[in-house]
Amino acid sequence: MDTMIPLVLRALLILGSFCTLVFILKRVRHAKMQIEDTIFWIFFSALLLFISVFPGLLYWASDLLGFVSPINLVYLLIIFVLLMHQFSLTERLSLMDVKLRTLAQRVALNQEKLDSDRKPAEEPKAEPSQPQEKD
Amino acid sequence: MLKLLIVIPAYNEAESITRVVDDLIQNYPQYDYVVVNDGSRDKTAAICRAKGYHLIDLPVNLGLAGAFQTGLRYAAENGYDCAMQLDADGQHLPQYIAPMLEMLEDGADIVIGSRFVTVLKPRTLRMLGSYLISWAIRLTTGRAICDPTSGMRMFNRRLLEEFAQNPNYGPEPDTISYLIKNGAVVKELQVEMAERTAGQSYLNFARSVQYMIKMGLSILLIQWFRKRDTVTPYPERSL
Repeated sequence: MDTMIPLVLRALLILGSFCTLVFILKRVRHAKMQIEDTIFWIFFSALLLFISVFPGLLYWASDLLGFVSPINLVYLLIIFVLLMHQFSLTERLSLMDVKLRTLAQRVALNQEKLDSDRKPAEEPKAEPSQPQEKD
Repeated sequence: MLKLLIVIPAYNEAESITRVVDDLIQNYPQYDYVVVNDGSRDKTAAICRAKGYHLIDLPVNLGLAGAFQTGLRYAAENGYDCAMQLDADGQHLPQYIAPMLEMLEDGADIVIGSRFVTVLKPRTLRMLGSYLISWAIRLTTGRAICDPTSGMRMFNRRLLEEFAQNPNYGPEPDTISYLIKNGAVVKELQVEMAERTAGQSYLNFARSVQYMIKMGLSILLIQWFRKRDTVTPYPERSL
């Protein structure tokens, strides 16, 4: 019995699962998060819920893989899932950096083009005003 | 007559874009159109410029939702009464625009050019996703949408402003389902669609599964918690 997942932890997992879900759905409600980004968190909270409600599968798996305690497998599983997500976030962030750079450069180049297109039209006006000042 | 803008999102459509747009210019000059190039890596933008097409050229790739939204922002800022999506691969036939406009004038908020109103949907693997989405929409809204994945959709002024400024308003079935649930009037018109003649479909197996998961979760779970904002007007913008 001592190697099983304690009841307190199971309750905590269930609580964590519901909190995740409520928090995510609230963000969507106020249009603060895109739906595709919620998918991971919905599956994550489902995983937590599954582990806490059906620990039997976990006992079996931890036995099979030779873990001292099933709880270690729970931690490992959660760490692994979060690492994967971290990896995909890094990938997205990196891509976003590139896009942002492209955008900023394009805006700046467009501005430069606007400015240099405007200059030739302004110069003829500026020239006649100078001799007038000398007089 | 309603002032319509045809939004043509184009991503790597160099082979078919001229056929689609030339057809519009020659045979349907009464409608305005705009090609939104979604950061294509082929010569789509260059071809449009050379041909003198009306073009919005996105400097980075935003995906279909972002590209279409760009077109709707243009429509909102330039006083259009309605807007529609027309695919650059030639699947959508412009002969159906006039009857779709009529349905919009009769009071629909959204008109979908649908392949399966009077025609039976084929029971193939390709249509499995379509069946599942139709079923999910029916379950949550009680309404039958025969061709939820059709991209040929027309929106009235109120809806196009809503689409133009909100996130999570992709031109996809989950948005349609969510809007029906929130009181929008959605009608379908039986249309025929052409087979795509160039390029390749965006959906491979992995993407299809991803798409179905997103649509499923969005229609069956998330839409119950979303709050529709019809109050915020489209913001005035000065250059």
